[in-house]
Amino acid sequence: MADSTILNLVLWLPVLGMVALLLSPRGNDSAVRGMTLGVMLLQLALTAWLYRRFDGSVPGLQFETRVPWIGDWGVYYHIGLDGLNVLLVALTAFLGPLVVAGAFSAIQKSVKLFYAMVFFIQFAMLGTFLAQDLFLFYVFWEAMLIPMFLIIGIWGGERRIYATLKFVLYTAFGSILMLAAVIYLVYALSQSTGVPSFAFADLYQHELPVVVQGWLLAAFALSFAIKVPMVPLHTWLPDAHVEAPTAGSVILAGVLLKMGTYGFMKLGFPLFPDATRLFTPALMILSVVSIIYGACLALVQTDIKKIIAYSSISHLGYVMLGLVSLDLLGIQGAIIQMVSHGLVAGGLFMMVGMIYERCHTRELAAYGGLAKLLPVYSVFFMILTLASIGLPTTSGFTGEFMVLMGAFNAAWPQFQAGDSLPLVLAVSAVAGVVLGAMYMLWLAQRLLFGEVKAPHQPFTDLVAREKAILIAFVVAIFALGLFPQGPLAKTELAARDYQHRVLASRVEGTTP
Amino acid sequence: MNWSVILTSMLPEHLLLIGMLAILGLEIRSGHSRDGFALALLSVGAAAAAALWLFVTGYLAEPFPQHFLVDPASSLSKAVLIALALPVLLISRDDFAETPYYTLVLASLYGACLVVSSTSFPTLFLGIEIMSLPVYALVLLGLLRAQSTEAALKYLVLGGAATATLLMGISLLYGWSGSLQIETFGAALQYSDPLAMAGAALIVAALFLKAAVVPFHAWAPDAYEGASAPVTAFMATVIKAGVLLAALRIFGTTPVLQPMLGLVAMLPLLSMAWGNLAAIRQVSFRRMIAYSSIGHAGYLFYALLGDGDGRWQAIVFYLIAYGLMNLLAFAALPRGADDERQDRLDALKGLYRRRPFSAVMIAIAMLSLAGLPPLPGFVAKFLVFKNVLAAGHTMYAVAGLVASYLGIYFYLRVIQYMFMTEQDPAAAHGSPRRYAVAASLLCLVPATLLMFFPGWLLERL
Repeated sequence: MADSTILNLVLWLPVLGMVALLLSPRGNDSAVRGMTLGVMLLQLALTAWLYRRFDGSVPGLQFETRVPWIGDWGVYYHIGLDGLNVLLVALTAFLGPLVVAGAFSAIQKSVKLFYAMVFFIQFAMLGTFLAQDLFLFYVFWEAMLIPMFLIIGIWGGERRIYATLKFVLYTAFGSILMLAAVIYLVYALSQSTGVPSFAFADLYQHELPVVVQGWLLAAFALSFAIKVPMVPLHTWLPDAHVEAPTAGSVILAGVLLKMGTYGFMKLGFPLFPDATRLFTPALMILSVVSIIYGACLALVQTDIKKIIAYSSISHLGYVMLGLVSLDLLGIQGAIIQMVSHGLVAGGLFMMVGMIYERCHTRELAAYGGLAKLLPVYSVFFMILTLASIGLPTTSGFTGEFMVLMGAFNAAWPQFQAGDSLPLVLAVSAVAGVVLGAMYMLWLAQRLLFGEVKAPHQPFTDLVAREKAILIAFVVAIFALGLFPQGPLAKTELAARDYQHRVLASRVEGTTP
Repeated sequence: MNWSVILTSMLPEHLLLIGMLAILGLEIRSGHSRDGFALALLSVGAAAAAALWLFVTGYLAEPFPQHFLVDPASSLSKAVLIALALPVLLISRDDFAETPYYTLVLASLYGACLVVSSTSFPTLFLGIEIMSLPVYALVLLGLLRAQSTEAALKYLVLGGAATATLLMGISLLYGWSGSLQIETFGAALQYSDPLAMAGAALIVAALFLKAAVVPFHAWAPDAYEGASAPVTAFMATVIKAGVLLAALRIFGTTPVLQPMLGLVAMLPLLSMAWGNLAAIRQVSFRRMIAYSSIGHAGYLFYALLGDGDGRWQAIVFYLIAYGLMNLLAFAALPRGADDERQDRLDALKGLYRRRPFSAVMIAIAMLSLAGLPPLPGFVAKFLVFKNVLAAGHTMYAVAGLVASYLGIYFYLRVIQYMFMTEQDPAAAHGSPRRYAVAASLLCLVPATLLMFFPGWLLERL
């Protein structure tokens, strides 16, 4: 089988799974679970095979498929792997089976519909990363709302309906303006070339006046920044995370938020480079504000899930900082940080889910001394905590360190040229690391140590299924922390490409 | 007069007429009101197939020169209109077992066919009237509650007002140009002669009234709520499609310029915003659908802002996607004896637990009507706004998109009731009617194909 067929299979397997689930008879929940896990594992195996075959020394797309979809408009079904999306696709496929297995005991209501929606969202997320056509990208981007709306709304906590509506209405508002920008952008392109095209490759060549670039970037950025989320557009996130079922939180933190940063990296910045450079100081300030503000909010929370939710805002601030630094190290760090955050936050949300299943509360005050009650659980929690702080040898260290190095690399020449703002921001970003250590260690201390207390005792320690899930997380975190060379080699060319695109001028009338 | 041309080119109309006569004849012969369901279904199916055949073969003829033209575009319009009536007939099986219902539906379809083939104002007027008159009776036919009378009367009076407005507009245009040809309207748009402008504006207002565009929308919520579900479905899809295709016929490919632009852009824009906002407050399902259809009328008229060729594509695609999804919702909707309670949105609470098939179908319909991808409603919306933007109306396109955002909430609320809320023990629990599954699939299968291969249809438009 050709590699491109396998990539298509990876994308469409969840759809097959979803259709099979919806058509299957009701009542046999364990068969539904087994079948879903099987499909997800198959998808992971195929993705792993593709990942190994992906050649980082070849520029451009690999395993490409390009067939006309809406011929009249120049819309193509165009998917492929490149250095920017390969790690995120791998991350999505990696989290798939873990999410499914993690929900085995937690989801007892409408099991079939739940796994059908997990398949649906898996499809939409992979499609967003793989799409190389703006129309296709937008379809996948928006389609993701439907399953997430249901996952939070049906299987969520007490205030699930409020949370899910807030999530959808926030995200949809950004998307609608992005849609206007998409239509305008493609229309402007077909005006100047005479051929309608939604292909990223064509849009990258397109020259636009700076003012138009600014407006379009603003529309795209609104949509992406809501999804990241960047302060001050973050208020939907804590609600959505707290109310979502564990699987929803893991998907949300693990992959969905990266769709925002990926959008900036793939579309927002490279499509409108001149506007991006114009807005760089503002974007840097917002990134650093996200880092510090998210960390400060995490410090004062009393709900375990909220602490991790706010830590996500802080950690994704690093990704944004790396992307706008336009330094190769920073960009590569941002890519690594995306994957690392997916693993660490995903794992932490999974662990919160495990303790919630046992004790039915997420209030930190209700817990203490779990190290004595749940020794195995505590070991895993401690490892994930340290990874979240960014201790060397874990993936969190690689990502954050590279981003900060990149930010300093970019700031130093400007400082010497008399502009001290980037340097100040880079230094402030380091404070985020310290704050991160504070809230995470404090969380671990209150949860694991001290006076022994927990509601709904007695309960068992982790079962084999839960251990297997957490081992997978921990192995991946250390693998990325100890051997980042492999992933870095696969992404380097794409990161350089991104850097060149954003640094090149594409103002109308000047040749890049 | 060439009879063979009349016979072939008007085959869809003839088949509808034969069906109507057969149903009536059966009634006269047997002496009592008999079930015309099978006959109606047969003749509608045959008429749709005939129209499709005329379209595929690219048939072009003018059986009544200067009045009635059959070209591929009009044949396709007929095929769409008639085919949309098929699910309506299927879901009305249990509500209407009597002859008049089927006769009226077929008569209305006959009128719609005249509308899309007309090239002169008298034919167009005749078509619109033949299309609307049976509907006034249909609203009243399945009298379920006292308000139905009021609804039908309101509809009749405002329909009459629309008729009068249309006639006035036509006479002004006639006075200005001395011609009753439909192209006069296009010519009137080009000149800013006050008489021509007034005539054109009156005709547009009449169409707005018929299609329920703000501020001419007040009759729609009452009529939709008062009528029985199949009739509401018929009004929201077939009749609305008929009016829009009439508008398309009248506007042709003439660009819309100032000062007409203000009328054709602002009122539909208001319609989108108000339809979507007012729908949020509704407690009756059919009333909510009425406001939703007011919003959709706005999108559809917005398509007229686009340039000539794009309009046809946008409106026909939109009508198909919108029609299929509206009918899907009505087909899957559980119904019970107590219509007033059953129609409340509360009755949908917890539907997924009781009837997962119905709930999933309605959810698909709502998401598509909200214009969320990947459902076909998204491509339809995209097409409309793409054309508006391509015609240079950037601000109108952005404003329209923002107005469409307002609509997302109330569609999602239906899903929220069905999937996320426990059922209300006091609420009525109906069940889907006979043939509901058949009707749902009749809508779902084409919609699914449209979702995966929108390009296939768009290339043929």
